[in-house]
Amino acid sequence: MTEKAPPRDIAVELLVEAGAVMASSLDLATTMQQVAQLTVPRLADLCTIDLCDDAGGAIREVAVASGDVGLAHDLEALRRRHPLDPNGEHPVARVIASGEPMLLAEMSDMLMRSFAQGSEHARFMIEHRYRSAAVAPLVARGRTLGALSVLRLGDCEPYCGEDLGLACELARRAALAIDNARLYSEVRQVEQRLAAILVNLAEAITLMDARGRMVFANQAAAELLQASSPEELMQARPGSIMERFLVLDEQGRELALDQMPGRRLFKGERPQPLLVRNVVRATGEERWLIVRSSPVIDPESGRVLFAVNVFENITEVKRAQLAESFMAEASRVLASSMDYSETLQGIARLAVPQIADGCAVDVVNEHGEIERVAIHHRDPAMVALAQRLDRGYRPAPQDPAGVPEVIRSGRPRLYAEVDPDALAAYATDNEHLELLQGIGARSVIIAPLAAPARTLGAVTLICSDSGRSFSHADLALAVRLARRAGTAVESARLYTERNRIAHVLGAALLPESLPEVPGVQIEALYRAAGELNDVGGDFYDVLPYGADRWLLVIGDVCGKGPRAAGVTALARHTLRAAAMLGQTPTGMLGTLHRALRSQPMGADLCTASLVTMCHAGTGQPAQLTVTLAGHPPPLVIDESGQATQVGRPGTLLGVIDPIDVAEVETQLRPGQTLLLYTDGLPEAGRSDHRLGERDLLALCAQAPGLDLAAMLARIEQTALRHAQGKLRDDIALLAVRLC
Amino acid sequence: MVMGVEDQLGITVRREADRVVVDLDGELDMASAPLLQSALDSAEVDPETMVVLDLQSLQFIDSTGLRAILSLRDQCRERAQQFAVTRGSPQVQRLLDITGVSEHLQTPTA
Repeated sequence: MTEKAPPRDIAVELLVEAGAVMASSLDLATTMQQVAQLTVPRLADLCTIDLCDDAGGAIREVAVASGDVGLAHDLEALRRRHPLDPNGEHPVARVIASGEPMLLAEMSDMLMRSFAQGSEHARFMIEHRYRSAAVAPLVARGRTLGALSVLRLGDCEPYCGEDLGLACELARRAALAIDNARLYSEVRQVEQRLAAILVNLAEAITLMDARGRMVFANQAAAELLQASSPEELMQARPGSIMERFLVLDEQGRELALDQMPGRRLFKGERPQPLLVRNVVRATGEERWLIVRSSPVIDPESGRVLFAVNVFENITEVKRAQLAESFMAEASRVLASSMDYSETLQGIARLAVPQIADGCAVDVVNEHGEIERVAIHHRDPAMVALAQRLDRGYRPAPQDPAGVPEVIRSGRPRLYAEVDPDALAAYATDNEHLELLQGIGARSVIIAPLAAPARTLGAVTLICSDSGRSFSHADLALAVRLARRAGTAVESARLYTERNRIAHVLGAALLPESLPEVPGVQIEALYRAAGELNDVGGDFYDVLPYGADRWLLVIGDVCGKGPRAAGVTALARHTLRAAAMLGQTPTGMLGTLHRALRSQPMGADLCTASLVTMCHAGTGQPAQLTVTLAGHPPPLVIDESGQATQVGRPGTLLGVIDPIDVAEVETQLRPGQTLLLYTDGLPEAGRSDHRLGERDLLALCAQAPGLDLAAMLARIEQTALRHAQGKLRDDIALLAVRLC
Repeated sequence: MVMGVEDQLGITVRREADRVVVDLDGELDMASAPLLQSALDSAEVDPETMVVLDLQSLQFIDSTGLRAILSLRDQCRERAQQFAVTRGSPQVQRLLDITGVSEHLQTPTA
């Protein structure tokens, strides 16, 4: 059937064609089929390629080629029904097992029956007149992959050793192509699995070649790099993707393409992961990314083939971190001053450039007008422009939009992208519009300067030349900042206000000066517990009470703060009025008791000690009347430092009806000291370290050597020492000494 | 040192045969006085039962504390409920004496 051609020509022809076929495909089935086809009809009437599994197991893959298509088809079907037994006598099995070629020059029916895979197979071979066969092993990379069999049918010339050699040569080349195809197919499978993983990874990954082209990108990379698909990234011109972004380092300096880690890999560097601030030029959206690049190195040349870039989006984390450090810094600025306009200027300076390109703060002043108290911008020219804008077009409180609307509603506004038409509508005239356009705000946030109960003003943040636009995260930060600033401003205002009230009240609680009494030294000391503006509590007074008579008053009102201050003023002025009317000490205390009982807000509790002093002149003793209402008894300290309590305990005022007080007569001799004090003195210090009355008496022992003012100062210092600087109640001291 | 109000004043309400005894341990002042009122409110003592304030473990009292005790006394009086206060520690008793309050408080019978 086959025409006999000169063997050498056939061989050369076949081998050249085989080279071309094998280079053309990496698909295993195609490669096998093409190799088998090559031999027909020049070398064979029928050609089969059988492949075995890796472990030398089952013989499975098969390619069959024949001039008779029906024959090839039938044989393939037969092989599927009756696979060759790898341990059987079939020449293919034997060649695969031994790795040695086999020539079956003349195949008798008996021989074929001996190795047939059953009677059907034997019948098939005999029917198709199998005559001669050469079976060559497919060996590649030291491993037997299968066998190539060429067969001649019918009456043609049997194969000789030269034919077997050609089959072997062909098999060697085919084996390599088949092995390549097989490896390629395995790699493809691995790649597909890998790609499935990469594609589904949340982290953006790209693979870049030495020319900067992306050969792989996953969906996350496409989304991050603002492409519609990974394919778009892979088709993009090298470097063109980066043009879509403003890429900055942590300090806000622009980064060039060749500073990116992937590019640096190809320059032979081993770059560290890079933190970049990435702004999408089209939208102004800002992201924080960590870019890590690792090389894929060619094992033979050692050159970097690819850079694997992994982009980790840490925007949320970085924002939160920046927001926290910014707020910490803001708190420091806010705490640094009690002057609110200074505070707000500090905030504007802090906001720029950290969170915005420009910042303005407006507050509602006492006339209800909107007043700009702070303005700051990266560009000083913009500050000048903004000032012109403010002078010429200051917003009115009833304006429908912008700062006035935010102040009225107390709700923040985010204009992520400023609409030029809306800007034109907002402008009142052309000059206004030009000024607004000159500011070039691309994105605006207006946040209410919110105090707990009201909105004091607004903080305006703008982005212009940095190309960013504000996000909801920026809005949240701005709202926090403005709320913190609002609270600080309100507390500064309240502090100032309370201080003023405390001064006014304080003036009503204590006498501005003590009267001059000939031959009598009088000193007083008042030490408030807690903050300076925590008013109320103790009071003292010295007033004329008839000819050569004086009234010494000391008292203590329960509680602290404005209400106690009110009661204290009531107590002091009630006693003053009663004294002027000439009431007795018992009468005066009764008057005060009734005044306290009849208070509209309910009774308040007060203790008082009244001492009347009748003093005829220098060198003379003074006659004292001591009347106590729930108050600690005064002390008379003699020249030796001995202290004696004077007076009899009486009921405190304001709660128990009727009061029971007694006037006790006593005398103060020249050189003796009378000390009136409030309960804050013996109560100074915590329970285990209280000053106590015994210590007070010991202190009094030092009194004779000290002048009156020094004595009071020493008592105060001792009390403070016991209280470790923190008094739990006010201390009032009133002392009188006869010369 | 920062102390919570609860650290400063311990209040234990104890029910005995014919009375409710309220033990005060610590300091009764401006910060802790509101605790006394709320402890009594939540104890829901019926008007037939005597309320006894035990001040023996109380280490400190100031004028606000006094006011709290006096206002309890007034509340009981309005409900015709018996109210008594034990003697206090020296500091506490001193203030009760100086202010004349002790004379107006009933001491509990055994």
